[in-house]
Amino acid sequence: MSLLRTFLKRQIFANTHRVTVSTTRFASELKPDEDAPVEIENPFKKERRECILCKLNITPDYKNYRLLSQFQSPYTGRIYGRHITGLCKSKQEKVETEIKKAQNCGYMPYYYKDKAFLKDPKLFDPENPIRSHRF
Amino acid sequence: MPAYEFALMLRAMPKPELKTALKRISHAIFDRGGIIRNIENLGFRSMPYKTSAHGLVHREANYVVFKVDTAALSVTDLKEEYSRDVDIIRQRVFRVQDDFEHSCTLEEELLPPAYREEVQKMIEIGKTQVNRFTYKFKYNSGLDYYPFQK
Repeated sequence: MSLLRTFLKRQIFANTHRVTVSTTRFASELKPDEDAPVEIENPFKKERRECILCKLNITPDYKNYRLLSQFQSPYTGRIYGRHITGLCKSKQEKVETEIKKAQNCGYMPYYYKDKAFLKDPKLFDPENPIRSHRF
Repeated sequence: MPAYEFALMLRAMPKPELKTALKRISHAIFDRGGIIRNIENLGFRSMPYKTSAHGLVHREANYVVFKVDTAALSVTDLKEEYSRDVDIIRQRVFRVQDDFEHSCTLEEELLPPAYREEVQKMIEIGKTQVNRFTYKFKYNSGLDYYPFQK
C-alpha cells in the first residue's frame, strides 16, 4: 500500500515538474539574453604545482645543515636526485651546491646522515620517485 | 649585505682563550680595512669527521661564521694569515650571493617529454645531425666498382 502511495506521489511530482518546465521555456523565449552562454574561465583548470622549497619560500643555506640533511640518503650520505626530491631545477641545483659547501665546512658528514636527524620528517619517498630509477 | 662569509672551525679550548682567538681573528680583518657585519656562533660540537691541523688530530670544534665586508685582495691575505693560526682548524670563505627572484618551473618540468622545451630543443638539434641509422656512405668516385682492396 505504502509503495503504491509513494509511486502516486512521484507521478504527481513528475507531472507538476513537466508543467513548470513548459512555463519557463515560454518565459525564456521572451528574454533570450538570460540563457546565452557566459564567458568564464575554465573551472576545471588544475592548480599550478610548485616544489616544496618554492612553496614555502626557502632558500637553502649551508649553515642550515638540518634542512639539507633531509635531502641526503641515510644509508650512503649521497644527495637524492631531482626525480626523488621533486624540487624544481634551480632549487635542486642550489641544494646540491649548499650540501657540498656544508660537507666541506665540516657541518655535515659525507658518507652518512647525522644520527640526530634520522627521525626528521620525510619530505619525499625515495621508493616512489616521480620518474623511474635507472637501477 | 655582507660580501664574504668566513666559516671557521676553532679548536676546543677554554672560554678565555677562545675569546682572545676571536679577538685576534677580528683584529686581522680590521687591520686590512674590513668591516665585520655579524658574527654567528654555531656552537661547540663534535665534527662529522676527524681533521688533522697543525700536527694535531681534532674531533671537536667551535663553529663560527664571520660575515665580513672587505676588499677582494685582502681576502687572500686573511686566508694566508688564518692558515698560520694554530687555533683555526679549518677555514672556508664564501661570497654571499643576492637572492634572485625566480618562479618555480616544476610544472613545466613535469610535462610529458614532447611538450618540454628542453626536449624540443634536443629534437631540433637532432634534425641538423646526420642520422646514423639511415646514412649510407657514398664513394663519389664515378666508378661502378670499388678500385681498392676492401
